[in-house]
Amino acid sequence: MTTMAEAAPVRAVQPRRSFRSAALTGLLLLPASLWYLVLLVAPLAIIVLFSFGERGKNGGYAGGFTFDNYVGALERNTPFVTSLAMALAGTVLCLFLALPLAYFIATRAGRRKSLLIVLLVVPFWTSFLIRTYAWLTILGPEGLGGFIGDVIGDPAFRLLGTPFSILLGVVYGYLPLMVFPIYVTMERMDRNLVEASKDLGAGRWATFRQITLPITLPGLVTGSILVFIPLMGEYVVPAILGYGRVFLIGNQLVLQFLEARDWPAGAAKAVILILIMLVSIVFYLWFSYRGRKTREVSVL
Amino acid sequence: MGARPAARVKAGRPRGPVVDRLGRFVEVWLRSHTFLVYLFLYIPIIVVVVFSFNGTSRRVTQWDGLSLKWYATVLSDKTIQSFFFNSFIVAIFTAVISTIVGTMAALGLQRAPKWFSRPFEALTFVSIIVPEIVIALATLVFFSTSWDILNPLLGTKITNGYHTIIAAHAVFNISLVMLLVRARLSGMDRTHVEASFDLYGTPWRTFWQITFPQLLPAIVAGFLLAFTFSFDDYIITTFTTGAGTTTLPLYVFSTIRKGVTPATNAVAAIMLLITLTVLVVGQIMVARNSRRAGARGTDAGMAGMITDQNA
Amino acid sequence: MADQDLDHMLKRMAQSKVNRRGFLWASGLSASAAALAACSPGATASPSSAAAPSAAASGAAPSDAASPSAVAEAVENELFMLNWGDYVDPDNMKQFQADFKVDKFTYDTFASNEELLTKLQGGAKGQYDISAPTAEFVPGMVEQGFLQKIDWTKVPNGKYIEEPFKNLWWDPKNEYQLPKDWGTTGISVRTKIVKEEVRTWKQFFEVAPKYSGRIVLVDSPGDVFVAPLKALGYSLNSVDEKELGEARDLLMKLAPHVLALDSDQYNTKIETEEAVLGLTWTGGIVELRDKPETADVAYYIPEDGTLFWMDTWVILADAPHPKAAHAFLNFIHGPEAQAKETMTNGYATCNSEAKKYIDPKVLADPAIFVPDDVLKKLEGAQDVSTNPLRIQIWEEFKSSIG
Repeated sequence: MTTMAEAAPVRAVQPRRSFRSAALTGLLLLPASLWYLVLLVAPLAIIVLFSFGERGKNGGYAGGFTFDNYVGALERNTPFVTSLAMALAGTVLCLFLALPLAYFIATRAGRRKSLLIVLLVVPFWTSFLIRTYAWLTILGPEGLGGFIGDVIGDPAFRLLGTPFSILLGVVYGYLPLMVFPIYVTMERMDRNLVEASKDLGAGRWATFRQITLPITLPGLVTGSILVFIPLMGEYVVPAILGYGRVFLIGNQLVLQFLEARDWPAGAAKAVILILIMLVSIVFYLWFSYRGRKTREVSVL
Repeated sequence: MGARPAARVKAGRPRGPVVDRLGRFVEVWLRSHTFLVYLFLYIPIIVVVVFSFNGTSRRVTQWDGLSLKWYATVLSDKTIQSFFFNSFIVAIFTAVISTIVGTMAALGLQRAPKWFSRPFEALTFVSIIVPEIVIALATLVFFSTSWDILNPLLGTKITNGYHTIIAAHAVFNISLVMLLVRARLSGMDRTHVEASFDLYGTPWRTFWQITFPQLLPAIVAGFLLAFTFSFDDYIITTFTTGAGTTTLPLYVFSTIRKGVTPATNAVAAIMLLITLTVLVVGQIMVARNSRRAGARGTDAGMAGMITDQNA
Repeated sequence: MADQDLDHMLKRMAQSKVNRRGFLWASGLSASAAALAACSPGATASPSSAAAPSAAASGAAPSDAASPSAVAEAVENELFMLNWGDYVDPDNMKQFQADFKVDKFTYDTFASNEELLTKLQGGAKGQYDISAPTAEFVPGMVEQGFLQKIDWTKVPNGKYIEEPFKNLWWDPKNEYQLPKDWGTTGISVRTKIVKEEVRTWKQFFEVAPKYSGRIVLVDSPGDVFVAPLKALGYSLNSVDEKELGEARDLLMKLAPHVLALDSDQYNTKIETEEAVLGLTWTGGIVELRDKPETADVAYYIPEDGTLFWMDTWVILADAPHPKAAHAFLNFIHGPEAQAKETMTNGYATCNSEAKKYIDPKVLADPAIFVPDDVLKKLEGAQDVSTNPLRIQIWEEFKSSIG
């Protein structure tokens, strides 16, 4: 434990690094590494393995090597398309709701800034399940849905089980994830730039467009990716508010693993979903790398 | 978690001069938009809490006077009590394990060579970005296959239970704690550490007296967040639970399927209360500790730490 | 507790051979004859009076050596049950706990037979004592080693199982299961809104577009497949490619009009008029007829034939509390406990003696205790749940409703 004090950043690797130091490092990392290996790498590896297998007679997995599961997943891809559409729509909606909100908190909240941030965090850290089912009562036949139905005189009118209710549910659930990064970039923005812009005679909108927005862009992208990813794999919201009418990949996965007990088919879809996530992430990393360079230029 | 001079300067002045004012109409719109979004965020929570006090014995939406009877029903129900107990067991063990393992990993990671830290960081990333439902199903298949292979081999009868729920919950929460502690480490003021060395303090003492107190806010925040996450988790729990380890979220979900009752709302309101208590306690502890440790930082304690983390 | 749904999925009873089916119809006749006999005026007077005191002390069933207390030997003080949601009368559970000093009665639930299998496969094996799969899933569970044989010497009340429910194909030697209850899959209609006659599956498909968005189906492939296959005049167990293809087309035409697939709250949806037409079980539906505002609810057993299913009590392999499990089986099959089960859940019992304690109104209800002429039109299920084409059609249907 002699070098514990080096548990501080930067230049951690020093020439006088001894064997004991290396052992300590290993010891510190051992539990987490084991945890990841057994409960993250192994399960995901099994899923990849199973995705090339065949369904057992009584369900489950029965060995084999085939691409049928992938072919099947790509042939009947409605849930993927629906999920993609929902995730994109949800992300755009979050963006439109979050941008003015973050802007307001970052530039106009003044002393109440801390309070507003806390108020934003509080619902986010409470149970997603509870926050979602609350909409059942609000949108249900004895709530808003029934009310609108009465007003327009259509007894078949409803809100639950429509794409609207799903969008509402996911936007509600993930909005804070969009607000946080945008807020942080906006708050860190150098106000002098804005003033300089004004001094140089730029109008309000020109300033907003040319200064505020570009500087905020990394935040927007981060927020979008943070929202898009969980939306793609959403399960709870359609399960509760969807009446099974909006069928996303998450629901498809549960159907295949639990009901059809066709683990290989489900595994293939899970792998495809993970690949979609990875592509989004790669895009994001590419963008933020590029974005960093442009930002440096613009600041200069 | 860097300092934000601009924010600091402005925070002192209420309604400070806003440089980029956008015209009256836009200002009004900004203001009302913000208000409406906050309303949107809180309406469902308010609905749940309000309807948990509904005295009705039938439909949940039929208001029948204020009453605490559903709280009495729920709190005196032995089965629901056992769900509370299960949730607490799971959440506390998850939080303790995640905090210890995650903090150790954060400390170890910055000493580790790149060939190790890169893949490790990638895994952390994976544990956070892969959708929970995929992790949950993969874990279900993994446990099922493992028991099938291990039990005949070892002559044991291992099955699912608290241990499987806790083990599965810990994955995400270890990553969470690690990220929080790492962020704190990288923003830490090293002058104290160096001063301590200059004064010939032993590394062990330096760690506990200098480094650890500075990390404490992040550790506490990590612990509390892991607790609430685990306490509220539905998806992973439902696929890793065993006999008699039903937790509150599983109970709530099953009652949602059968139709929300005032009892559901009462249980939900109690869960909200527990989560909020944890958050408020955390907020206070972190904020106080930050000041004492002299760390620069967040304007809103734990909340600030979270927003920073997301950036 | 009456409106508590029955959470049943995939209810199928099955006859694999024609001669066996013939046997069932014959025996079905005798079963319903017994039902009719039991609700004749002479038979009803005494049971209703006997039922009242028995609720207080079920241990003292009159003139019956096989009442629960007779076998109240010491059992483990815990019992772990894995069952459909709310599928045991709560009073019965309390009574059992009191009679046998079982302090901890864990009642965990599954939503479908498939989920039960997944749970047993996924680490629940050896944790639970008792479960209640639908009959045609029993052979598969035996094959996978999930069940243990019932020791009938510890379940003397097994003698009350009516003959027609013994030696059926899923358990030819009556080794693994105790019949729990049985029922049908039919059509629920709000007659004040749906004016058309909907007494066949064919009519169901015809009127569906008119009530688009107000149709609820149970979330169970075994039951949903009944409608198109029977409307087309095929066996509900069909695995024929051409027949299933036609069924698929009918289902896909129905899909856009469906409000929800819901095994848990179909009754609530019918009650609130959110849905006015349904493919449902009887649970939660029959009692709607007794309320003034929902008196127009009707439950029809379709004239072009439908499914006759049965759920069974089984003791799981490696059950940690086998004594308590056997005691529970015996307890729950006691005539009075069984009568309570029928009245709480709204499904017919297979217990001859229990019928003496059942409210004659329930006993005379053709939706629950199906009359024999109707019974002839019913068909039992085979285990076709693993047929790949059916799974594929079900997925396609499920992903395109609404």
